[in-house]
Amino acid sequence: MSVLKRLSKSKYFNTVLWIVILIIVWEIGATVVAATKRSPENILPHLSGIIESVVSKDTINGSQTAVQMVLENAKATISRALVGFGIGTALGFVLALFMSRFKTVEKIAFPYLMIIQMIPILGMAPLIFAITQDISKSRIIIAAILTFYPVATNTLAGFKAVEKEKHELMISYAASKFQLYTKTMIPSCIPYFFTGLKISAPMAITASILVDTLQGGIGLGCLLSQALKGAMSRYVFWQIVFLSAFIGIFSFLLMGIIEYVLCPYKRKGNKQEE
Amino acid sequence: MPLSVFLLKLKGMMKMADMQNSNVEIMLKDIGMVYKTNDGRDVTALTGVSLDIQKGEFISLLGPSGCGKTTLLRIIADLLQPTSGEISIAGESPRDARLSKKYGIVFQSPVLYDWRTVKKNIMLPLEIMHIPKAEREDRAMKMLDIVGLTEFANHYPNQLSGGMQQRVGIARALAIQPQILLMDEPFSALDEFTKEKLHEDLLRIWAKTNKTIIFVTHNIQEAVFLSSRICVLSPHPGRLSAVIDVDLPRPRTMDIKDTPEFTAYVAKVRNSFEGI
Repeated sequence: MSVLKRLSKSKYFNTVLWIVILIIVWEIGATVVAATKRSPENILPHLSGIIESVVSKDTINGSQTAVQMVLENAKATISRALVGFGIGTALGFVLALFMSRFKTVEKIAFPYLMIIQMIPILGMAPLIFAITQDISKSRIIIAAILTFYPVATNTLAGFKAVEKEKHELMISYAASKFQLYTKTMIPSCIPYFFTGLKISAPMAITASILVDTLQGGIGLGCLLSQALKGAMSRYVFWQIVFLSAFIGIFSFLLMGIIEYVLCPYKRKGNKQEE
Repeated sequence: MPLSVFLLKLKGMMKMADMQNSNVEIMLKDIGMVYKTNDGRDVTALTGVSLDIQKGEFISLLGPSGCGKTTLLRIIADLLQPTSGEISIAGESPRDARLSKKYGIVFQSPVLYDWRTVKKNIMLPLEIMHIPKAEREDRAMKMLDIVGLTEFANHYPNQLSGGMQQRVGIARALAIQPQILLMDEPFSALDEFTKEKLHEDLLRIWAKTNKTIIFVTHNIQEAVFLSSRICVLSPHPGRLSAVIDVDLPRPRTMDIKDTPEFTAYVAKVRNSFEGI
Protein backbone atom coordinates (compact mmCIF):
# COMPACT_ATOMS: atom_id res chain seq x y z
CA MET A 1 0.00 0.00 0.00
CA SER A 2 2.69 2.46 1.04
CA VAL A 3 4.70 1.50 -2.05
CA LEU A 4 1.71 2.30 -4.25
CA LYS A 5 1.20 5.59 -2.46
CA ARG A 6 4.79 6.56 -2.90
CA LEU A 7 4.64 5.55 -6.56
CA SER A 8 1.56 7.65 -7.19
CA LYS A 9 3.40 10.70 -5.92
CA SER A 10 6.30 10.17 -8.29
CA LYS A 11 6.70 12.62 -11.15
CA TYR A 12 6.58 10.00 -13.85
CA PHE A 13 3.77 7.94 -12.38
CA ASN A 14 1.14 9.46 -14.64
CA THR A 15 3.17 8.97 -17.80
CA VAL A 16 3.98 5.36 -16.99
CA LEU A 17 0.36 4.67 -16.06
CA TRP A 18 -0.83 6.04 -19.40
CA ILE A 19 1.67 3.99 -21.38
CA VAL A 20 0.71 0.81 -19.52
CA ILE A 21 -3.01 1.44 -20.11
CA LEU A 22 -2.42 2.15 -23.80
CA ILE A 23 -0.42 -1.06 -24.21
CA ILE A 24 -3.11 -3.11 -22.47
CA VAL A 25 -5.92 -1.61 -24.58
CA TRP A 26 -3.86 -2.03 -27.75
CA GLU A 27 -3.13 -5.69 -27.00
CA ILE A 28 -6.77 -6.46 -26.17
CA GLY A 29 -7.77 -4.82 -29.47
CA ALA A 30 -5.09 -6.73 -31.39
CA THR A 31 -6.20 -10.02 -29.86
CA VAL A 32 -9.81 -9.37 -30.86
CA VAL A 33 -8.78 -8.33 -34.37
CA ALA A 34 -6.51 -11.34 -34.78
CA ALA A 35 -9.42 -13.63 -33.90
CA THR A 36 -11.90 -12.05 -36.31
CA LYS A 37 -10.06 -10.64 -39.36
CA ARG A 38 -8.14 -12.37 -42.10
CA SER A 39 -5.12 -10.02 -42.24
CA PRO A 40 -5.00 -8.49 -38.78
CA GLU A 41 -1.78 -6.53 -39.40
CA ASN A 42 -3.79 -4.26 -41.72
CA ILE A 43 -5.98 -3.14 -38.86
CA LEU A 44 -4.25 -3.67 -35.55
CA PRO A 45 -1.22 -5.94 -35.24
CA HIS A 46 0.21 -7.12 -31.96
CA LEU A 47 2.92 -4.81 -30.66
CA SER A 48 5.26 -7.80 -30.63
CA GLY A 49 4.80 -8.05 -34.38
CA ILE A 50 5.81 -4.43 -34.87
CA ILE A 51 8.86 -4.80 -32.66
CA GLU A 52 9.77 -7.97 -34.54
CA SER A 53 9.63 -6.08 -37.84
CA VAL A 54 11.87 -3.41 -36.38
CA VAL A 55 14.62 -5.81 -35.34
CA SER A 56 14.19 -8.07 -38.36
CA LYS A 57 17.20 -8.38 -40.66
CA ASP A 58 15.13 -9.31 -43.74
CA THR A 59 15.45 -6.83 -46.59
CA ILE A 60 12.22 -5.61 -48.08
CA ASN A 61 13.36 -4.03 -51.31
CA GLY A 62 16.41 -6.08 -52.05
CA SER A 63 18.94 -3.90 -50.26
CA GLN A 64 17.40 -2.34 -47.12
CA THR A 65 15.66 -3.66 -44.07
CA ALA A 66 12.37 -2.06 -43.09
CA VAL A 67 14.01 0.04 -40.40
CA GLN A 68 16.79 1.28 -42.66
CA MET A 69 14.22 2.31 -45.23
CA VAL A 70 12.01 4.09 -42.72
CA LEU A 71 14.94 5.94 -41.17
CA GLU A 72 16.29 7.05 -44.54
CA ASN A 73 12.92 8.48 -45.47
CA ALA A 74 12.51 10.01 -42.02
CA LYS A 75 15.77 11.87 -42.52
CA ALA A 76 14.45 13.46 -45.71
CA THR A 77 11.15 14.42 -44.09
CA ILE A 78 12.73 15.82 -40.96
CA SER A 79 15.27 17.90 -42.86
CA ARG A 80 12.49 19.43 -44.99
CA ALA A 81 10.39 20.06 -41.90
CA LEU A 82 13.41 21.64 -40.24
CA VAL A 83 14.12 24.00 -43.13
CA GLY A 84 10.45 24.98 -43.32
CA PHE A 85 10.31 25.40 -39.56
CA GLY A 86 13.41 27.59 -39.62
CA ILE A 87 12.07 29.83 -42.38
CA GLY A 88 8.62 30.08 -40.76
CA THR A 89 10.14 30.90 -37.38
CA ALA A 90 12.39 33.61 -38.79
CA LEU A 91 9.59 35.21 -40.81
CA GLY A 92 7.13 34.95 -37.92
CA PHE A 93 9.54 36.58 -35.51
CA VAL A 94 10.46 39.39 -37.88
CA LEU A 95 6.82 40.12 -38.68
CA ALA A 96 5.96 40.18 -34.96
CA LEU A 97 8.84 42.59 -34.44
CA PHE A 98 7.52 44.90 -37.16
CA MET A 99 3.96 44.66 -35.88
CA SER A 100 5.09 45.64 -32.41
CA ARG A 101 7.34 48.44 -33.60
CA PHE A 102 4.94 49.95 -36.15
CA LYS A 103 1.27 50.12 -35.22
CA THR A 104 0.33 50.51 -38.90
CA VAL A 105 1.94 47.21 -39.81
CA GLU A 106 -0.03 45.51 -37.06
CA LYS A 107 -3.27 47.11 -38.19
CA ILE A 108 -2.70 46.03 -41.77
CA ALA A 109 -1.25 42.57 -41.18
CA PHE A 110 -2.81 41.16 -38.04
CA PRO A 111 -6.43 40.62 -39.16
CA TYR A 112 -5.22 38.78 -42.25
CA LEU A 113 -2.88 36.58 -40.28
CA MET A 114 -6.00 34.98 -38.87
CA ILE A 115 -7.03 33.97 -42.37
CA ILE A 116 -3.86 31.92 -42.81
CA GLN A 117 -4.94 29.93 -39.80
CA MET A 118 -8.52 29.53 -41.01
CA ILE A 119 -7.92 28.19 -44.50
CA PRO A 120 -6.78 24.56 -44.72
CA ILE A 121 -3.19 25.09 -45.77
CA LEU A 122 -2.66 21.43 -46.45
CA GLY A 123 -5.45 21.61 -49.00
CA MET A 124 -3.47 24.30 -50.75
CA ALA A 125 -0.52 21.99 -51.23
CA PRO A 126 -1.43 21.12 -54.85
CA LEU A 127 -1.70 24.83 -55.61
CA ILE A 128 1.72 25.55 -54.16
CA PHE A 129 3.07 22.58 -56.06
CA ALA A 130 1.63 24.04 -59.26
CA ILE A 131 3.37 27.33 -58.55
CA THR A 132 6.76 26.03 -57.48
CA GLN A 133 6.83 23.03 -59.83
CA ASP A 134 8.89 21.29 -57.20
CA ILE A 135 7.39 18.97 -54.63
CA SER A 136 10.33 19.30 -52.26
CA LYS A 137 10.01 23.09 -52.20
CA SER A 138 6.25 22.83 -51.72
CA ARG A 139 6.78 20.62 -48.68
CA ILE A 140 9.15 23.17 -47.17
CA ILE A 141 6.81 26.07 -47.93
CA ILE A 142 3.82 24.39 -46.33
CA ALA A 143 5.84 23.59 -43.21
CA ALA A 144 6.98 27.22 -43.13
CA ILE A 145 3.45 28.61 -43.45
CA LEU A 146 2.18 26.41 -40.65
CA THR A 147 5.07 27.43 -38.42
CA PHE A 148 4.76 31.09 -39.21
CA TYR A 149 1.38 31.80 -37.62
CA PRO A 150 1.87 30.45 -34.08
CA VAL A 151 5.31 32.01 -33.88
CA ALA A 152 4.16 35.42 -35.14
CA THR A 153 1.07 35.65 -32.90
CA ASN A 154 2.74 34.33 -29.77
CA THR A 155 5.77 36.55 -30.17
CA LEU A 156 3.54 39.57 -30.72
CA ALA A 157 1.60 38.64 -27.58
CA GLY A 158 4.97 38.53 -25.80
CA PHE A 159 5.86 42.02 -26.99
CA LYS A 160 2.49 43.29 -25.84
CA ALA A 161 2.81 41.68 -22.44
CA VAL A 162 5.81 43.85 -21.49
CA GLU A 163 4.66 45.94 -18.53
CA LYS A 164 4.05 49.64 -18.97
CA GLU A 165 6.55 50.29 -16.19
CA LYS A 166 9.36 48.64 -18.15
CA HIS A 167 8.66 50.98 -21.04
CA GLU A 168 8.69 53.91 -18.63
CA LEU A 169 11.96 52.75 -17.09
CA MET A 170 13.53 52.67 -20.54
CA ILE A 171 12.14 56.16 -21.22
CA SER A 172 13.63 57.40 -17.97
CA TYR A 173 17.01 55.95 -18.99
CA ALA A 174 16.65 57.82 -22.30
CA ALA A 175 17.12 54.49 -24.09
CA SER A 176 17.04 54.37 -27.89
CA LYS A 177 14.42 52.28 -29.70
CA PHE A 178 17.15 49.80 -30.53
CA GLN A 179 18.08 49.48 -26.85
CA LEU A 180 14.43 49.20 -25.92
CA TYR A 181 14.16 46.12 -28.15
CA THR A 182 17.49 44.48 -27.43
CA LYS A 183 17.45 45.04 -23.67
CA THR A 184 13.77 44.77 -22.84
CA MET A 185 11.32 43.72 -25.53
CA ILE A 186 13.08 40.78 -27.16
CA PRO A 187 14.31 39.10 -23.96
CA SER A 188 10.83 39.58 -22.44
CA CYS A 189 9.08 37.81 -25.27
CA ILE A 190 11.33 34.72 -25.30
CA PRO A 191 8.96 32.55 -23.22
CA TYR A 192 6.09 33.50 -25.54
CA PHE A 193 8.27 32.85 -28.56
CA PHE A 194 8.95 29.36 -27.24
CA THR A 195 5.25 28.76 -26.68
CA GLY A 196 4.87 29.47 -30.40
CA LEU A 197 7.72 27.11 -31.24
CA LYS A 198 6.23 24.33 -29.11
CA ILE A 199 2.97 24.60 -31.02
CA SER A 200 4.51 24.84 -34.43
CA ALA A 201 7.33 22.27 -34.24
CA PRO A 202 5.01 19.21 -34.28
CA MET A 203 2.86 20.99 -36.86
CA ALA A 204 5.82 21.41 -39.19
CA ILE A 205 6.57 17.70 -38.88
CA THR A 206 2.94 16.69 -39.46
CA ALA A 207 2.68 19.02 -42.44
CA SER A 208 5.86 17.67 -43.92
CA ILE A 209 4.65 14.08 -43.63
CA LEU A 210 1.19 14.85 -45.00
CA VAL A 211 2.50 16.79 -47.98
CA ASP A 212 4.87 13.89 -48.65
CA THR A 213 1.86 11.72 -49.47
CA LEU A 214 0.94 14.06 -52.32
CA GLN A 215 3.74 12.89 -54.60
CA GLY A 216 6.31 10.19 -54.78
CA GLY A 217 9.98 10.52 -54.05
CA ILE A 218 11.65 10.11 -50.74
CA GLY A 219 9.95 10.96 -47.48
CA LEU A 220 8.04 9.32 -44.64
CA GLY A 221 4.69 10.26 -46.17
CA CYS A 222 5.57 8.74 -49.54
CA LEU A 223 6.62 5.52 -47.87
CA LEU A 224 3.52 5.62 -45.72
CA SER A 225 1.16 5.77 -48.68
CA GLN A 226 3.10 3.07 -50.54
CA ALA A 227 2.92 0.80 -47.54
CA LEU A 228 -0.79 1.51 -47.18
CA LYS A 229 -1.38 0.61 -50.81
CA GLY A 230 0.25 -2.73 -50.14
CA ALA A 231 3.46 -2.10 -52.05
CA MET A 232 5.44 -3.43 -49.14
CA SER A 233 5.03 -4.96 -45.73
CA ARG A 234 2.25 -3.41 -43.68
CA TYR A 235 4.64 -3.31 -40.76
CA VAL A 236 6.50 -0.50 -42.49
CA PHE A 237 3.31 1.50 -42.10
CA TRP A 238 3.13 0.75 -38.39
CA GLN A 239 6.77 1.64 -37.89
CA ILE A 240 6.14 4.99 -39.56
CA VAL A 241 3.11 5.64 -37.38
CA PHE A 242 5.15 5.13 -34.24
CA LEU A 243 8.19 6.96 -35.52
CA SER A 244 6.19 10.04 -36.60
CA ALA A 245 4.42 10.15 -33.26
CA PHE A 246 7.80 9.99 -31.59
CA ILE A 247 9.28 12.73 -33.82
CA GLY A 248 6.29 14.99 -33.16
CA ILE A 249 6.50 14.57 -29.40
CA PHE A 250 10.27 14.83 -29.45
CA SER A 251 10.18 18.09 -31.46
CA PHE A 252 7.88 19.54 -28.81
CA LEU A 253 10.11 18.35 -25.97
CA LEU A 254 13.19 19.61 -27.78
CA MET A 255 11.79 23.15 -27.81
CA GLY A 256 11.21 22.84 -24.07
CA ILE A 257 14.79 21.66 -23.57
CA ILE A 258 16.21 24.53 -25.62
CA GLU A 259 14.14 26.99 -23.61
CA TYR A 260 15.34 25.38 -20.39
CA VAL A 261 18.95 25.79 -21.46
CA LEU A 262 18.52 29.36 -22.68
CA CYS A 263 16.53 30.57 -19.67
CA PRO A 264 18.41 29.59 -16.53
CA TYR A 265 16.31 31.96 -14.44
CA LYS A 266 13.26 29.78 -14.95
CA ARG A 267 14.63 26.82 -13.07
CA LYS A 268 15.71 28.53 -9.87
CA GLY A 269 12.65 28.66 -7.69
CA ASN A 270 13.10 28.61 -3.92
CA LYS A 271 12.23 32.05 -2.59
CA GLN A 272 14.03 33.83 0.20
CA GLU A 273 12.13 34.66 3.35
CA GLU A 274 12.07 38.20 4.69
CA MET B 1 14.32 104.11 10.51
CA PRO B 2 14.47 102.18 13.78
CA LEU B 3 17.08 99.49 13.89
CA SER B 4 14.61 96.69 14.56
CA VAL B 5 12.62 97.50 11.44
CA PHE B 6 15.80 97.65 9.42
CA LEU B 7 16.91 94.31 10.71
CA LEU B 8 13.52 92.81 9.87
CA LYS B 9 13.75 94.17 6.34
CA LEU B 10 17.26 92.85 6.01
CA LYS B 11 16.13 89.44 7.15
CA GLY B 12 13.36 89.52 4.57
CA MET B 13 15.79 90.49 1.83
CA MET B 14 18.17 87.75 2.81
CA LYS B 15 15.33 85.26 2.70
CA MET B 16 14.43 86.43 -0.81
CA ALA B 17 18.05 86.12 -1.89
CA ASP B 18 18.21 82.70 -0.38
CA MET B 19 15.18 81.62 -2.38
CA GLN B 20 16.71 82.97 -5.58
CA ASN B 21 20.20 81.61 -5.32
CA SER B 22 18.06 78.56 -5.12
CA ASN B 23 18.38 75.45 -3.28
CA VAL B 24 15.22 74.86 -5.24
CA GLU B 25 15.52 71.62 -7.17
CA ILE B 26 12.03 71.31 -8.56
CA MET B 27 9.74 74.24 -9.27
CA LEU B 28 6.12 73.58 -10.12
CA LYS B 29 3.98 76.54 -11.11
CA ASP B 30 0.25 76.27 -11.54
CA ILE B 31 0.39 72.75 -12.96
CA GLY B 32 -2.86 71.48 -14.46
CA MET B 33 -3.70 68.25 -16.17
CA VAL B 34 -6.90 67.65 -18.11
CA TYR B 35 -7.64 64.27 -19.65
CA LYS B 36 -10.09 63.64 -22.43
CA THR B 37 -12.18 60.54 -21.80
CA ASN B 38 -13.25 58.27 -24.62
CA ASP B 39 -16.70 59.84 -24.81
CA GLY B 40 -15.12 63.27 -25.20
CA ARG B 41 -15.62 64.66 -21.69
CA ASP B 42 -12.85 66.58 -19.99
CA VAL B 43 -11.64 65.22 -16.67
CA THR B 44 -9.47 67.45 -14.52
CA ALA B 45 -6.85 65.28 -12.87
CA LEU B 46 -4.86 68.15 -11.44
CA THR B 47 -5.41 71.84 -11.12
CA GLY B 48 -3.29 74.74 -9.92
CA VAL B 49 -0.47 72.84 -8.25
CA SER B 50 2.38 75.17 -7.29
CA LEU B 51 5.26 73.89 -5.23
CA ASP B 52 8.96 74.46 -4.73
CA ILE B 53 10.97 71.46 -3.68
CA GLN B 54 14.38 72.04 -2.13
CA LYS B 55 17.48 70.01 -2.85
CA GLY B 56 17.72 67.04 -0.54
CA GLU B 57 14.15 67.20 0.70
CA PHE B 58 12.05 64.14 1.36
CA ILE B 59 8.66 65.07 -0.01
CA SER B 60 5.58 62.90 0.20
CA LEU B 61 2.70 63.31 -2.17
CA LEU B 62 -0.11 62.02 -0.01
CA GLY B 63 -3.73 61.48 -0.92
CA PRO B 64 -6.53 59.04 -1.66
CA SER B 65 -6.82 57.39 -5.07
CA GLY B 66 -7.92 59.80 -7.77
CA CYS B 67 -6.19 62.80 -6.21
CA GLY B 68 -3.63 62.98 -9.01
CA LYS B 69 -0.55 62.20 -6.91
CA THR B 70 0.81 59.66 -9.37
CA THR B 71 -0.07 61.99 -12.24
CA LEU B 72 2.00 64.70 -10.59
CA LEU B 73 4.92 62.34 -10.14
CA ARG B 74 4.73 61.30 -13.77
CA ILE B 75 4.63 64.94 -14.85
CA ILE B 76 7.84 65.60 -12.91
CA ALA B 77 9.39 62.47 -14.44
CA ASP B 78 8.52 63.68 -17.95
CA LEU B 79 6.38 60.62 -18.53
CA LEU B 80 3.37 62.94 -18.91
CA GLN B 81 3.08 66.48 -20.23
CA PRO B 82 0.92 68.80 -18.16
CA THR B 83 -1.82 70.62 -20.06
CA SER B 84 -1.05 73.84 -18.26
CA GLY B 85 1.54 75.38 -15.99
CA GLU B 86 5.30 75.46 -15.83
CA ILE B 87 7.82 73.10 -14.39
CA SER B 88 11.55 73.35 -14.07
CA ILE B 89 14.10 70.94 -12.67
CA ALA B 90 17.11 72.92 -11.45
CA GLY B 91 16.50 75.36 -14.28
CA GLU B 92 16.03 72.68 -16.92
CA SER B 93 12.89 71.36 -18.55
CA PRO B 94 11.76 67.92 -17.32
CA ARG B 95 12.69 66.53 -20.72
CA ASP B 96 16.27 67.77 -20.47
CA ALA B 97 16.45 66.55 -16.90
CA ARG B 98 15.30 63.12 -18.04
CA LEU B 99 17.76 63.03 -20.92
CA SER B 100 20.59 63.92 -18.57
CA LYS B 101 19.49 61.06 -16.29
CA LYS B 102 18.50 63.08 -13.28
CA TYR B 103 15.64 60.76 -12.33
CA GLY B 104 15.68 57.40 -10.68
CA ILE B 105 12.24 55.84 -10.65
CA VAL B 106 10.88 53.14 -8.33
CA PHE B 107 7.43 51.75 -9.03
CA GLN B 108 4.90 49.96 -6.88
CA SER B 109 5.98 46.63 -8.36
CA PRO B 110 9.75 46.10 -8.50
CA VAL B 111 9.65 45.65 -12.33
CA LEU B 112 12.78 43.55 -12.33
CA TYR B 113 14.07 41.68 -15.36
CA ASP B 114 13.52 37.97 -14.69
CA TRP B 115 16.29 36.87 -16.99
CA ARG B 116 18.95 39.01 -15.36
CA THR B 117 20.62 38.32 -12.06
CA VAL B 118 20.25 40.91 -9.31
CA LYS B 119 23.58 42.46 -10.19
CA LYS B 120 22.79 42.54 -13.88
CA ASN B 121 19.44 44.14 -13.16
CA ILE B 122 21.24 46.99 -11.47
CA MET B 123 23.72 47.18 -14.33
CA LEU B 124 20.96 47.48 -16.96
CA PRO B 125 20.58 51.29 -16.89
CA LEU B 126 24.36 51.59 -16.89
CA GLU B 127 24.58 49.43 -20.01
CA ILE B 128 22.11 51.72 -21.68
CA MET B 129 24.26 54.67 -20.71
CA HIS B 130 27.31 52.95 -22.27
CA ILE B 131 29.26 52.97 -19.06
CA PRO B 132 32.35 50.71 -19.24
CA LYS B 133 31.93 47.21 -17.86
CA ALA B 134 34.35 47.51 -14.97
CA GLU B 135 32.65 50.62 -13.68
CA ARG B 136 29.23 49.04 -14.15
CA GLU B 137 30.24 46.11 -11.96
CA ASP B 138 31.77 48.41 -9.43
CA ARG B 139 28.73 50.65 -9.15
CA ALA B 140 26.33 47.71 -9.03
CA MET B 141 28.23 46.18 -6.13
CA LYS B 142 28.26 49.51 -4.32
CA MET B 143 24.51 49.85 -4.74
CA LEU B 144 24.00 46.30 -3.53
CA ASP B 145 26.01 47.18 -0.48
CA ILE B 146 23.84 50.23 0.18
CA VAL B 147 20.63 48.19 0.06
CA GLY B 148 22.25 45.29 1.93
CA LEU B 149 21.95 42.60 -0.71
CA THR B 150 25.60 41.93 -1.54
CA GLU B 151 25.31 38.21 -0.98
CA PHE B 152 22.41 37.96 -3.43
CA ALA B 153 24.25 39.55 -6.37
CA ASN B 154 24.07 36.42 -8.48
CA HIS B 155 20.55 35.37 -7.56
CA TYR B 156 17.67 35.76 -9.97
CA PRO B 157 14.78 38.03 -8.95
CA ASN B 158 12.33 35.14 -8.61
CA GLN B 159 14.54 33.73 -5.86
CA LEU B 160 14.10 36.86 -3.74
CA SER B 161 11.30 37.88 -1.38
CA GLY B 162 9.08 40.84 -2.26
CA GLY B 163 10.95 43.18 0.06
CA MET B 164 14.31 42.18 -1.37
CA GLN B 165 13.02 42.65 -4.90
CA GLN B 166 11.89 46.15 -4.07
CA ARG B 167 15.33 46.88 -2.61
CA VAL B 168 16.89 45.76 -5.89
CA GLY B 169 14.52 48.20 -7.59
CA ILE B 170 15.79 50.99 -5.35
CA ALA B 171 19.41 50.01 -5.99
CA ARG B 172 18.79 50.06 -9.73
CA ALA B 173 17.24 53.53 -9.48
CA LEU B 174 20.23 54.79 -7.48
CA ALA B 175 22.77 53.20 -9.82
CA ILE B 176 22.46 55.94 -12.42
CA GLN B 177 23.34 58.44 -9.68
CA PRO B 178 20.21 60.52 -10.16
CA GLN B 179 19.66 63.76 -8.30
CA ILE B 180 16.02 62.99 -7.79
CA LEU B 181 14.49 59.72 -6.68
CA LEU B 182 10.85 59.34 -7.70
CA MET B 183 8.98 56.63 -5.82
CA ASP B 184 5.44 55.64 -6.70
CA GLU B 185 3.91 53.77 -3.73
CA PRO B 186 6.99 51.57 -3.61
CA PHE B 187 6.06 49.68 -0.45
CA SER B 188 2.30 49.41 -0.73
CA ALA B 189 2.40 45.80 -1.91
CA LEU B 190 4.57 44.66 1.00
CA ASP B 191 3.51 43.31 4.36
CA GLU B 192 3.62 45.60 7.39
CA PHE B 193 6.83 44.17 8.90
CA THR B 194 8.81 44.33 5.68
CA LYS B 195 7.46 47.79 5.06
CA GLU B 196 8.68 49.14 8.41
CA LYS B 197 12.10 47.68 7.82
CA LEU B 198 12.31 49.23 4.38
CA HIS B 199 11.18 52.59 5.78
CA GLU B 200 14.22 52.68 8.04
CA ASP B 201 16.43 51.45 5.21
CA LEU B 202 15.13 54.14 2.90
CA LEU B 203 15.80 56.89 5.46
CA ARG B 204 19.29 55.55 5.94
CA ILE B 205 19.90 55.54 2.18
CA TRP B 206 18.46 59.04 1.90
CA ALA B 207 20.75 60.34 4.62
CA LYS B 208 23.72 58.65 3.01
CA THR B 209 23.11 59.70 -0.60
CA ASN B 210 21.54 63.10 -0.10
CA LYS B 211 19.00 62.69 -2.90
CA THR B 212 15.83 64.65 -3.30
CA ILE B 213 13.09 62.07 -2.85
CA ILE B 214 9.51 62.42 -4.01
CA PHE B 215 7.46 59.68 -2.50
CA VAL B 216 3.89 58.96 -3.53
CA THR B 217 1.75 57.24 -0.92
CA HIS B 218 -1.78 56.91 0.44
CA ASN B 219 -0.58 55.94 3.88
CA ILE B 220 -0.57 58.80 6.41
CA GLN B 221 1.75 57.11 8.95
CA GLU B 222 4.20 56.27 6.21
CA ALA B 223 4.24 59.85 4.98
CA VAL B 224 4.73 61.30 8.48
CA PHE B 225 7.47 58.85 9.37
CA LEU B 226 9.49 59.40 6.21
CA SER B 227 8.97 62.95 5.05
CA SER B 228 10.46 66.29 5.73
CA ARG B 229 7.41 67.78 4.05
CA ILE B 230 4.04 66.29 3.19
CA CYS B 231 2.03 67.58 0.27
CA VAL B 232 -1.58 66.65 0.85
CA LEU B 233 -3.57 66.25 -2.34
CA SER B 234 -7.35 66.13 -2.45
CA PRO B 235 -9.49 64.71 -5.25
CA HIS B 236 -12.25 66.00 -7.55
CA PRO B 237 -10.42 67.83 -8.94
CA GLY B 238 -6.92 66.82 -7.88
CA ARG B 239 -5.32 69.74 -6.07
CA LEU B 240 -2.74 70.56 -3.45
CA SER B 241 -4.81 71.17 -0.33
CA ALA B 242 -2.07 71.47 2.29
CA VAL B 243 1.68 71.40 2.73
CA ILE B 244 2.81 70.26 6.16
CA ASP B 245 6.37 70.39 7.47
CA VAL B 246 7.27 67.42 9.60
CA ASP B 247 9.75 68.53 12.24
CA LEU B 248 10.33 65.22 13.92
CA PRO B 249 13.94 64.60 14.95
CA ARG B 250 16.26 62.56 12.78
CA PRO B 251 17.51 59.94 12.47
CA ARG B 252 14.06 58.48 12.93
CA THR B 253 13.50 54.96 14.15
CA MET B 254 10.39 52.89 14.63
CA ASP B 255 10.08 54.09 18.25
CA ILE B 256 9.13 57.53 17.07
CA LYS B 257 5.76 56.17 16.04
CA ASP B 258 4.80 55.82 19.70
CA THR B 259 5.49 59.46 20.56
CA PRO B 260 2.67 62.00 21.01
CA GLU B 261 4.40 64.27 18.46
CA PHE B 262 4.08 61.61 15.82
CA THR B 263 0.42 61.03 16.63
CA ALA B 264 -0.20 64.77 16.53
CA TYR B 265 1.29 64.99 13.04
CA VAL B 266 -0.82 62.09 11.88
CA ALA B 267 -3.93 63.83 13.19
CA LYS B 268 -2.92 67.12 11.63
CA VAL B 269 -2.40 65.53 8.24
CA ARG B 270 -5.66 63.62 8.47
CA ASN B 271 -7.58 66.80 9.26
CA SER B 272 -6.12 68.60 6.30
CA PHE B 273 -7.98 66.53 3.71
CA GLU B 274 -10.83 68.25 1.97
CA GLY B 275 -13.87 66.96 0.22
CA ILE B 276 -13.36 63.21 0.33
